Amino acid sequence: MRIGIDIGGTFTDFVLFDPASGSLQTFKRLSTPHDPAEAVLAGLARLDQQREAERGPAGDPTPSLAEIVHGSTVATNALLERKGARTAFVTTAGFRDLLAIGRQNRSQLYDLFADRPAPLAPAELCFELGERVDRRGHVLQPLDPAELAALVERLTAAGVESTAVCLLFSFANPSHEEQIGAALRQAGLLTSLSSEILPEFREVERASTTVINAYVAPTLNRYLGRLAEQFQGVEFRIMQSNGGSISAAQARREGVRSILSGPAGGAVGAFHVAQAAGFSRVLAFDMGGTSTDVTLCDGGVRVTSEGEIGGLPVRIPLIDIHTVGAGGGSIAAVDLGGALRVGPQSAGADPGPACYGRGGLLPTVTDANLALGRLPADRFLGGQMALDAAASEQALTRLAQAAALTAAPGLTLAQTAALGVIQIANAHMERALRVISVARGHDPADFALLSFGGAGGLHACELARALGVRTVIVPPGASTLSAFGMLAADVVKDYVQTVMLAGTVPFAELAALGEALAQRGLAEVAAEGAPPARIALYPQVDVRYRGQAYELTVPLTPDFVAAFHAEHQRIYSHSQPAAPLEIVNLRLRAVGSVPRPALPTAEPGDPAADAAWLGRRPVVLPSGLVDAPLFDGAALRPGHAIAGPAMIVYKDTTVFLATGDRARVDRHFNLVVAVGDR
Amino acid sequence: MPPAPPDPIRLEVFKHLFASVAEEMGVVLRRTSYSPNIKERRDFSCALFDAAGQMIAQAAHIPVHLGAMPLSVQAAIDALTLGPGDVAILNDPYRGGTHLPDITLVTPIFVDAQPSGVAQNTDGAGERPFAFAACRAHHADVGGMSPGSMPIARELIQEGVIIPPLKLVEAGQINQGLLELLLANVRTPEERRGDLHAQLAANAKGAQRLGELAARYGLAEVQGAMQGLVDYAERMTRRLLAGLPDGVYRFADRLDDDGVDPQPAEIVVTIAIQGEEATVDFTGTAPQRRGSVNAVYAITLSATLYVFRCLLGEDAPTNSGCLRPLRVIAPVGTVVNARPPAPVAGGNVETSQRITDVLLGALAQAAPDRVPAASQGTMNNLTIGTSRAEPGAGDWDLAAGRPFAYYETIAGGMGGRPGKAGADAIHTHMTNTLNTPVEALEYAYPLRVQRYEIRRGSGGAGRWRGGDGVRRDIELLADAQVTLLTERRIFAPYGLAGGAPGQPGRNLLLRGGQEMELPGKTTLQAEAGDVISVQTPGGGGWGAPVD
Repeated sequence: MRIGIDIGGTFTDFVLFDPASGSLQTFKRLSTPHDPAEAVLAGLARLDQQREAERGPAGDPTPSLAEIVHGSTVATNALLERKGARTAFVTTAGFRDLLAIGRQNRSQLYDLFADRPAPLAPAELCFELGERVDRRGHVLQPLDPAELAALVERLTAAGVESTAVCLLFSFANPSHEEQIGAALRQAGLLTSLSSEILPEFREVERASTTVINAYVAPTLNRYLGRLAEQFQGVEFRIMQSNGGSISAAQARREGVRSILSGPAGGAVGAFHVAQAAGFSRVLAFDMGGTSTDVTLCDGGVRVTSEGEIGGLPVRIPLIDIHTVGAGGGSIAAVDLGGALRVGPQSAGADPGPACYGRGGLLPTVTDANLALGRLPADRFLGGQMALDAAASEQALTRLAQAAALTAAPGLTLAQTAALGVIQIANAHMERALRVISVARGHDPADFALLSFGGAGGLHACELARALGVRTVIVPPGASTLSAFGMLAADVVKDYVQTVMLAGTVPFAELAALGEALAQRGLAEVAAEGAPPARIALYPQVDVRYRGQAYELTVPLTPDFVAAFHAEHQRIYSHSQPAAPLEIVNLRLRAVGSVPRPALPTAEPGDPAADAAWLGRRPVVLPSGLVDAPLFDGAALRPGHAIAGPAMIVYKDTTVFLATGDRARVDRHFNLVVAVGDR
Repeated sequence: MPPAPPDPIRLEVFKHLFASVAEEMGVVLRRTSYSPNIKERRDFSCALFDAAGQMIAQAAHIPVHLGAMPLSVQAAIDALTLGPGDVAILNDPYRGGTHLPDITLVTPIFVDAQPSGVAQNTDGAGERPFAFAACRAHHADVGGMSPGSMPIARELIQEGVIIPPLKLVEAGQINQGLLELLLANVRTPEERRGDLHAQLAANAKGAQRLGELAARYGLAEVQGAMQGLVDYAERMTRRLLAGLPDGVYRFADRLDDDGVDPQPAEIVVTIAIQGEEATVDFTGTAPQRRGSVNAVYAITLSATLYVFRCLLGEDAPTNSGCLRPLRVIAPVGTVVNARPPAPVAGGNVETSQRITDVLLGALAQAAPDRVPAASQGTMNNLTIGTSRAEPGAGDWDLAAGRPFAYYETIAGGMGGRPGKAGADAIHTHMTNTLNTPVEALEYAYPLRVQRYEIRRGSGGAGRWRGGDGVRRDIELLADAQVTLLTERRIFAPYGLAGGAPGQPGRNLLLRGGQEMELPGKTTLQAEAGDVISVQTPGGGGWGAPVD
């Protein structure tokens, strides 16, 4: 039995998969933000009882709990809420302020009062050591053992919980970092070395990545230690930001690699579902209460090594996700110049949208959907929470008055404002989807849009229309997709080594250097339990034209030079085959594939969705008020077809189809919508 | 019939749509450009304009480009009859440019599929564009007397190749003669060719996306939204001005020197706020100089737009409407509105910062709780390079024997702010370019960074102290020419409300154990083993210090 567990703000999701029987089941527990382990342990305990009960008098063996794949929300929160360890930073003399100076730019051009995020290691815990290595790894100034001994004493005296070490050019010669690491670890200090975490050039990004690792390590250690204690004999695996998983033991050493595990799980789950539905190019769209995450999959989940978390640079491979501060809880207001704005302020869960009836008086995107009849008031969260339509209407009417709107023909003032709020929210999200597609050189029209956030189903088809996307996919149980993705994730380990060689270096020489990474990757993925037959190695090389500041990554093969020119042509529209090259980094991705959980499947039947029919409701379209049918998503079967305008209510999301949109339920119970023309 | 003004909803929707187009232009430019200066330091801007040349939307990149872009478009409109398939190019500071390395491309946008919606010239001469896309990028070299084209010059022609508004592309065909002439006058022609093609691609993207919007919403709707957004920005600015107390606010500050003559140059501004409008008058400012600290009018306009834009708040629109309630008077022949043939390289990078300082100093009197003390007030331009191979390059293997040009601007202290200290080691006001990583620099050039740290104690004391500057020490591993174009080496960044001034910056040459003070603006032939130490100014403090 394998279990995927994702801790969200409201719920902790559990997805169980039995590889023997192929069965898949999901359940949720309320999250326990004060101690996230509580919900996890409670959920696992419940599972234990259930298995006890199932064992029955006959004593049939139920599948044992073999493996748990888990996110690392604790590390993420420690970083974002700045509740990590008291962290020190050690670097080369002359560069103590490396973290504080960063790249010297400001994040907001026109805000005279904005500040950069403060470094995770405070100035009084940033230390220098006299030493210097040049770019070829030659020692210019050796490390002084006496100075190092004094540093160990100072760190101990300062009550430091975790230390990050990043020396200039340590990727070219790690010996000084290793000496420091040995001394600190001998003194019992938890230590992260940049040459271990990320042996790649560009000191600010390498240092930042190493410091994040040091900052979250103690928190992650305590948390995983506690889980491991409670569930001995179970293999714990941790989802990484690169879309793969690693063993808990490895994760504890390299916490920075799992900082974005939740969204990574979502992206992997989204791609797996889309692929099963026959789509390999997909825009994954996760619209939640306060923000929306979007990512693009082109034959696979895409990673970037130019990420940023909480305003701090990280250079380890991350799923390429773009986030905007617009969601169901985003507040609509009129600004000084008379424009209607949606967000970035959010009503959050408390007080929440006006319709939650918890004292929120400001209209949100959710209120607008309710006022337009697109969100059935009596069926929110499976009917567990009644929505106050009158409160939404009042809030939207006040907004309309502030904006001096006049009611559109046949509509109330509140409905007129609500249409505007939806349009503006969609404009925000359209812009986000363009960032991950157009800005990365893709035409959104070549992709399907997969919506899996709670608020996304109400907006997905309109957004698709605006972007020229022809297909929208809404999977069942969309809200547990992240936990599902963790189960679907392979074992993935990424390696990098800066080499900085002239492009004329013989391939055999590069291949020999790459072989060292390959041996390490093979051994470490095998140590994760992957059988050799299921391990694949993908050696890569970062190349650039001499003098350029940006590298491109291509597969490390004898033809890599031609591949580089071709890739440069494809991405940048020009190439200079005669220009000299620089070989910047060698990379390796080592993958141990795991058996994918199978999705529930049934053969398509009759298109008539009568069994799911819940009645008709008035709904406002841009063209006016119409009566539209309402369907129960849980009752839909493969083959069922629904034409818009219509609403389909699931337990965790509602899908709105406009006139012209045609939905069909595929054999995996996904709602697949052929998006109508504008 | 004029298009109906858009309602509050359309306004917001189109704000996102236009911003998205400008951002996509920026992405294309950054992706397809060749040079590190554009790709890594992001020294470029993209914007959209209406038929009259009013700026509608700008992708936020470099503030000094802000007010200058509309003047580039205006210069192209005035000088040329732009038809379908044409693209204008220019960099002449006296005809729509700011300084020579900043090359601007302007593309007219037509609606071809909707003949009925196309506005006609009154004389019936043909179609008129309904909008323009423009982008400006800082090219690492445009010729002139020194690598990097930021020399200590005495006349414009020494600073590089001058491009008046011309058609780089005519009816879809590149003007090869013009292109080859340009490339023959720069040091790195292939890099320039690549970057110009990237700029063409960016404008093409802008034209394509704006055309799509016109097809999706109709031309009248798009044009109505353009006017609506400019009016909206104007309303926001008027609200801002109405909220400031009426009055006349004067402030003066000085440039250290011009690199040729040692006298300081005073910049004076008088801001008269009356109701919803303001006059920004630079009368009293020093005459233009022999050295390159001369700013053209576009720079002065950019600085003015920047400071008012800052007071509007981060998410306000940035377009020509912001300038409508402002009257900017910059007397011709002064360092804030220079005439030919004055050199201008320092006007763009240094004087622009001082103009910002005086504007903020004046506005602090009207809005004391919203304006910080002076930030470092310079960009600390440092160029190290050779035009030919130099001996002594040692093991500098990857690039041995090649000429090189390393250009960098260095951060400094931000002024203390009412309510919080100024940030240390950060780029402020008119620039926001990134630094070159030490490890990237040592791979690329025969240079070694010995020290890169915060210059502690350089920020001015105050209730809210000024941010500290930076010290960057670079050792030369080969003989090379070093050019420094820096300010605030003599006159310190001011404090406000009783705060102390920040420390002025210093430029030092460390040679054989000796420390030699260098002038703020200088070119010298340095030797292998020399260390150039640039120590940047701290910001001024805000409020009297409390013990």
